[in-house]
Amino acid sequence: MNSFHIAIAAVTVMFAVSLMLLLAVVVFKWANGRRLEARENRRAAYLKLLSQHVAAPGSIAEISVKEADDAAFIDALIDIRHALSGSPADSLDGVIDRVGLISHQAKRLSSRFPLGRRLRAVVSLAEIGDPKAAPILMHHLTDRVPEIRVQSARGLARMRHTPAIDVILDRFHDETPWVQSRFAETLALYGRDAVWPLTAWVRVNHNYRRDKGVTEIIRILGIIGDSEVGPGLAELLYTAEDPEVRIAIIETLGIIGGPLALRPLRRMIQSADWRIRAKAATAFSRIGDSSINPILREGLDDQSWWMRRNSAAALASLPGGIDFLYEAIGAAEQFTRDAAAEALADCGELIAARDRLESGESDPRDAQLISYMHIPEPVTS
Amino acid sequence: MILEIMEWVGYTILAYFVLMQLYMVYLAVRSALVLRRSHHLDRFGRVGEMLSSHRVPPVSIVIAAYNEEKGIVEAVRSMAIVGYPRLEIVVTNDGSTDDTLRRLIEAFDMEKVRIPYRPDLKTEPIRAIYRTHSPIRITVIDKENGGRADALNAGINAARYPYALCTDADVVLDAYCLIRSMRHVVEDRERTVCVGGNVRPLNGCSLELGHLVKATVPKRMIPRMQVLEYLRSFVTSRPAWSAMGALPIVSGAFGVWKRSAVIAIGGFEVGHLGEDMDLTMRMHRYHLAKGIPYRIVYEPAAVIWTEVPETTRVLRRQRIRWQRGLIRSVRDFRPMTFNPRYRALGMVTWPGMVLFEYLAPIVEFSGWIIVPTVLFMGAINIPMMFALLGLAYGAGVANSLLAILLDESFGFYHSPKDIARLVVMALVENLGFRQRTVVWRMRAFFGGNATRIWGNMERRGVGNLGVEHS
Repeated sequence: MNSFHIAIAAVTVMFAVSLMLLLAVVVFKWANGRRLEARENRRAAYLKLLSQHVAAPGSIAEISVKEADDAAFIDALIDIRHALSGSPADSLDGVIDRVGLISHQAKRLSSRFPLGRRLRAVVSLAEIGDPKAAPILMHHLTDRVPEIRVQSARGLARMRHTPAIDVILDRFHDETPWVQSRFAETLALYGRDAVWPLTAWVRVNHNYRRDKGVTEIIRILGIIGDSEVGPGLAELLYTAEDPEVRIAIIETLGIIGGPLALRPLRRMIQSADWRIRAKAATAFSRIGDSSINPILREGLDDQSWWMRRNSAAALASLPGGIDFLYEAIGAAEQFTRDAAAEALADCGELIAARDRLESGESDPRDAQLISYMHIPEPVTS
Repeated sequence: MILEIMEWVGYTILAYFVLMQLYMVYLAVRSALVLRRSHHLDRFGRVGEMLSSHRVPPVSIVIAAYNEEKGIVEAVRSMAIVGYPRLEIVVTNDGSTDDTLRRLIEAFDMEKVRIPYRPDLKTEPIRAIYRTHSPIRITVIDKENGGRADALNAGINAARYPYALCTDADVVLDAYCLIRSMRHVVEDRERTVCVGGNVRPLNGCSLELGHLVKATVPKRMIPRMQVLEYLRSFVTSRPAWSAMGALPIVSGAFGVWKRSAVIAIGGFEVGHLGEDMDLTMRMHRYHLAKGIPYRIVYEPAAVIWTEVPETTRVLRRQRIRWQRGLIRSVRDFRPMTFNPRYRALGMVTWPGMVLFEYLAPIVEFSGWIIVPTVLFMGAINIPMMFALLGLAYGAGVANSLLAILLDESFGFYHSPKDIARLVVMALVENLGFRQRTVVWRMRAFFGGNATRIWGNMERRGVGNLGVEHS
């Protein structure tokens, strides 16, 4: 066989591949379009049927076991369940039992492939949130597919299955950053039930692990927002060595607040690390402690631009802070003046100053702010 | 002797095209695996739940605008209603000579203000700054003309959030594109310095209230050809490059950049005609040279729609501009080519760009001269030549068809008309259309003032693209 024959063979193969692809494009696109359209129609029909069932629970007869395998039925069921609460939602439990949805999806999830069906099964179980699915979801917290682990954790959190918290935390450091962040989100769904396990975990791990897992969990404590974790976190602020951990604690303390947070935050606002100073300034604005105003005024002249900007924003939201911002409009440096002016505009002071001017009740500083905002100096690099 | 050399040159050129198409098919197959995971994640991952999460970092949308009066208001409106918890919009009016600035001021009731502007990146002087007091903060930076890169740098200076989506004024964002791309930042905030998105032609599509409601393949051949080109680039190449950790370009139409990283490398290069590729490559070089862990990723599910040229004249200018940008990048990043220090970027994707993008017009143009010459001189085996040409053509068609097939995971272009238009385009693209772009790209190797920094694209405005010219 010479090179010409090889080339001819290659051409033949390539044209055969192209022809197959051409057929695949036409058939697959056409078929997929039809499939999606049919599924939407079925979903609409199921929505109608399930709505009728919720209104009059006796009309269940038309829903049979084969529906447990239909994606359109599951989508419709999840939509209706999300829209309802209380006894109307409970009335759907009969439908779920009748079609054997949990056992059917559990079987799908336990099979090795295809991945798409396994994912659909785990999402269905997670969305439906039926406690009967808890054992199977617990088992799949260690599944080889990351997204199945995430959705299992999500389903367990939706049903507030607290034994899962420790399992999730045990796995936390072995996970990829993506799974860690999704696991952290699911832990927030447990609310106060998760506070003590999470706090204990942070206390044990905060100086031994340098991945982002610790900061994720600290931020989740902030999202849960239970003030009881404040003292514990405030104490960690002194002992934590990693600046990222400190930043996460400051953010969380800013959300949780409480008097015990003030003392460590006062210390952090004078940190050598500008990121910590800037975060502390924002945390004070959230807590609403105006005794910090003079320190924030100093922050307007800080060497870090972020610190100046955050200090200005914090002063705008604290009682008495506006006076310091008006004073800063006369500062020597343009960035400080502009940061103060922007903060005053953002908190509505510019509009209020205009109103006062129009009604003849203005004072000199109103005119100062208005004129400053409207005669911008050219900004050059 | 001369005949023998000519014969081998002829075969080398033909073999080059076969190799190029096979490389493209390899990328397409690898991309298919990436798209499969992306599709599953998009469908079952419930990424939208992050919309209610405080954990997604805020984003500044930075828009570079020059003479965009026809579409700027609709574009900004479409961005203001994109699904994302915390964002601001910064429009840089780069010394427009039309009514771009006035339209923005009137549409959004803006007023001249002061903001704490940090000139971290050097730009042309700022004339004034305007801001609206709507719930979503919109800021307009009015500056002297300095080009797209300069405008983006000014926008990045004014941006107050740690991530900046750098884009243009002729785009419409998909409702969830920002949350889908920021998923990568949530996943790995420390290392992620850039996330690129999937850009598609907007021409011929239907829009309502700043959102795309129906994607259609344009009737006109020029934008239709570009649909296929964009599919090959964004559906069959970039996912593979991203999976290798060696994405050589993040499109200028959609790139979410870490602000501090952009400032660290000096921002967009002013005067560069391929500033998006240049920034991406410099970002790679900076992090690899300093040994800083980083990620530049591509998110295929983050879709953005952009206006593409509809006339030969504008398309020609665009292609010359792009090729000139590439020529400069190839020169600037020559030490990275086949350099193992730069890992897959230095050994696979950047050499791929040099061999199959930069050199392609030269080789193809040479082929047009050399192959007929050796054919005329009887120095080449005619059946062999046609076999190789057939192989290159077949691989090209296969690559385009694969792109159309993979695109199905996004769920656009379902109607039989759309499918037929794309398939016909795949079959005829290599029979004249592509050759025309080769001539334009060859033109780019020679000097002249055929292009300008802003490209002078004749805009119809994003709100007017659904109605096609007859």
